[in-house]
Amino acid sequence: MTAPAGPILEVRGAVKAFDGLLAVAGASFDVERGSITALIGPNGAGKTTMFDLLSGFGRPDAGTIRLAGRDIAGMAPYRIANLGLVRTFQLTRVLAGMSVMDNMLLAARNQPGEHLAALILSPGRSRAAEAAARESAIGLLATFGLAAKAGDYAGALSGGQRKLLEIARALMTGPSIVLLDEPMAGVNPTLGRDILDHIAALRSARGTTFLFVEHDMDVVMTRADKVIVMAQGRVIATGTPAGIRADPAVVEAYLGTPHAVAP
Amino acid sequence: MSVDFWINVGVLAGIYGIFTLGLQLNAGFIGLLNFGQAGFMAIGAYAVGLLVVDFGWSLWLALLAGILLAVIGGLFVGISSLRLRSDHFAIATIAFAEIVRYVLQNAEFSGGNQGVLGYDEEWRTLSDWALAKLALIGLGDYTQLPLFIAVWLAFLVLLAVLIVLQGTPWGRVLRGIREDEDATAALGKNVFAYKLQSLAIAAALAAVAGFFVALNVTFLYPSVFDPTFTFFGYAMLVLGGFASYGGVVLGGILFWTLLEGTRLFDTALSAGQQASLRFIIVGFFLLLLSRLRPQGLLGNRAEMRVRP
Amino acid sequence: MAGSNEAGKADALQPHGAGTLRLSRPVLLLLVIVVLFAALVALYGFDATAQATVNGLVAGGYLGLGAIGLSLILGILKLVNFAHGDLLVAGAYFTILFGWLGLPLVVAMLFAMIATAALAVLTEKVVWQPLRQAGAGTLQLFLSAIGLALVLRFGIQFFAGSQVRTLGADIVSSITIGPIHLGTLQAVALVTGLVVMAVVGLALRFTGIGKEMRAFADNRALAEVSGINTRRIIDVTWAASGFLAALAGILYAVAIGSFNPNFGVTLLLSLFAATVLGGIGNAYGALIGGLVIGLSQEWSTLLLNARWKPAVGFALLILMLLLMPQGIFGKARRRS
Repeated sequence: MTAPAGPILEVRGAVKAFDGLLAVAGASFDVERGSITALIGPNGAGKTTMFDLLSGFGRPDAGTIRLAGRDIAGMAPYRIANLGLVRTFQLTRVLAGMSVMDNMLLAARNQPGEHLAALILSPGRSRAAEAAARESAIGLLATFGLAAKAGDYAGALSGGQRKLLEIARALMTGPSIVLLDEPMAGVNPTLGRDILDHIAALRSARGTTFLFVEHDMDVVMTRADKVIVMAQGRVIATGTPAGIRADPAVVEAYLGTPHAVAP
Repeated sequence: MSVDFWINVGVLAGIYGIFTLGLQLNAGFIGLLNFGQAGFMAIGAYAVGLLVVDFGWSLWLALLAGILLAVIGGLFVGISSLRLRSDHFAIATIAFAEIVRYVLQNAEFSGGNQGVLGYDEEWRTLSDWALAKLALIGLGDYTQLPLFIAVWLAFLVLLAVLIVLQGTPWGRVLRGIREDEDATAALGKNVFAYKLQSLAIAAALAAVAGFFVALNVTFLYPSVFDPTFTFFGYAMLVLGGFASYGGVVLGGILFWTLLEGTRLFDTALSAGQQASLRFIIVGFFLLLLSRLRPQGLLGNRAEMRVRP
Repeated sequence: MAGSNEAGKADALQPHGAGTLRLSRPVLLLLVIVVLFAALVALYGFDATAQATVNGLVAGGYLGLGAIGLSLILGILKLVNFAHGDLLVAGAYFTILFGWLGLPLVVAMLFAMIATAALAVLTEKVVWQPLRQAGAGTLQLFLSAIGLALVLRFGIQFFAGSQVRTLGADIVSSITIGPIHLGTLQAVALVTGLVVMAVVGLALRFTGIGKEMRAFADNRALAEVSGINTRRIIDVTWAASGFLAALAGILYAVAIGSFNPNFGVTLLLSLFAATVLGGIGNAYGALIGGLVIGLSQEWSTLLLNARWKPAVGFALLILMLLLMPQGIFGKARRRS
């Protein structure tokens, strides 16, 4: 399968207001297929709201959002996920009362056993899909160093492990693009580097696109192919890490905030 | 005398066990606060009674129709109210159950407080046949025994079906939604559709329970379906344990034994006071258990963390 | 706990605004009421409509006063207090108890209100505060509220019996003003209800504790950071909630004449309807909501058999939840 040309994600003039306050005020940007793109900006720039709009957890008041050429603005989250865009959350949301393995299996796509009619009419297909899903879950858990934890309750994992599980779970859906909201937050640096290595490897192996929000400028500058900078609900700059660092508009947006652009 | 008494307790435990299986499916496995279960039960029971008496349907066909009508009721409540916040949804379901009871009490078609009578002839025939068979092994004197057997047979079959379903990928999606519906939606699951299915199945279970209530009370009147009975179901749930179908069996037996058992003691209290006392006991159960052991006696603490 | 806190913070960050919609809905409501009144007069004549309207105001008085506590508790503690209807019942039966002990009726009523306020605070100390500290979830709170409701209702029934009772006041005399006939007691209930509603409204608006309560119900997170004494507000809210619930129960008993311990649970859904209509946590809204529900129920008797009266309350509740869950006076909030 050859990847069609054009950006995987195209956002044009997205607007979202809460009680009259514009959280996203006409943002436009593209995310290139197979890229690792960072979304940065000072606190309150609208990054998380933008993630909500992209993943269907908020309906934009205006503007279009295209995923592989298809308009997804205002579509239900589950439909967007089934089109191949999967997100993680800023505060990790593992399903604490379920086992790590069940967290992974739940994410498997095309499981006929999740539908009552198919379950009753062809239980064999459900079992086959389950076996296949279990195999790929074992592989992903091994990649993320969670193989030994497969039988534990997800609620019993450490904070860093939950982060890993959430990312592994997102990948379990076989996505074409993954949105990671602060994947490094609350994770120790060694583990953080591992996560980033996995991301780079998966991009190479599967061509998966990654869009992530991150505050650590070192990570952004060394790991992203492309950077999108938001401030006050707008995209004020896009470009390569080197280009962004030199952009005066970006430096100005960051003045007076704790996240100064690293020299 | 005493055996008949305990057979009757068993009948009640079984009927409300079926009823509570639905609540377990909603509250325990998908996290839906359905407080309108008594309304679905009333729909099922009255459909049976009225279709047989007024339209001359066969009792068994009427049972199917009752289940279907309750499911339609469940879909109606779900489609209109599932998008509400969980506490608003709970209030909406209580209001639904009150409306059902109110309509039955006041409308012409349902016979009002006079109720519906004379729908259980086919059951009597079957029951007499069963009693004749039971007489062969010396159990022919217990007139409620056939109902007990029918109720528990249905209860155990439905229990088995639900346990099997819960172990499938379908059941896993329900648990995912209970844990975190946004995260589950973000993984591509249609949360609304699953909640709707869960509610519709619960309504069907309530209708089956309603059918057996109709057979047990022999004539239908609205206060049999007071929304308070939904609370009884939740008391059974708290007793037996959340997120455990086996817990429903234990909860049902414990609850009805404790509740009916109070009748066995001779006290100086009047009949009215004794009746009040039974409800006070239920109230204390709910208060104490939801405080001391919110996951229930058999419930799994790790699985059923009680969360905001 | 963490979730609701976060939502509170998110709300705190957003300015109050979008004023056009907030203003127009109450105006719209008033318009609807006027139009309905005119339509009813045209259809059923002035006399019948005026009588139903007065009856509706009587009902609106006890429903509005009863709904205030339900709404504040729901707004402040996020607690759906199913036992609230039984606080109304407690008010009526405490009055009977104190009357039986020999107190004059009016004094007995006052004592009953104080006793019910104490009972409400007691439930906070014994049931709700410990549950909150244990981090109870929605279901746990629901089940506890139901448990408490059963204990209160059947506790009262245990001691007082389930037979129909009266407060022992004169129920025969009546007043006639033009076309309107009104029992003296109903007139008293009407005037008391409206006066207390006004007093409560003024107290909420102008006293320090009233302002704090409203601020707290409106936005708990914001109120907490602004240094309000949380414990005190919660206790005062429970006391006020119990006091007004008892008054509502007494007004009901006075206006209707006879009652049994089940009247609270019968009224509960109407109280919820008033609460949702007025916007959860909004005390003025609850008062207005109560009046609207009272009027709707009494006006419905012009069109339908009177036995459908409570069903009108249920139907309004469901309609409000489905169409306008934030209520007439509530502001539209972001769904989290």
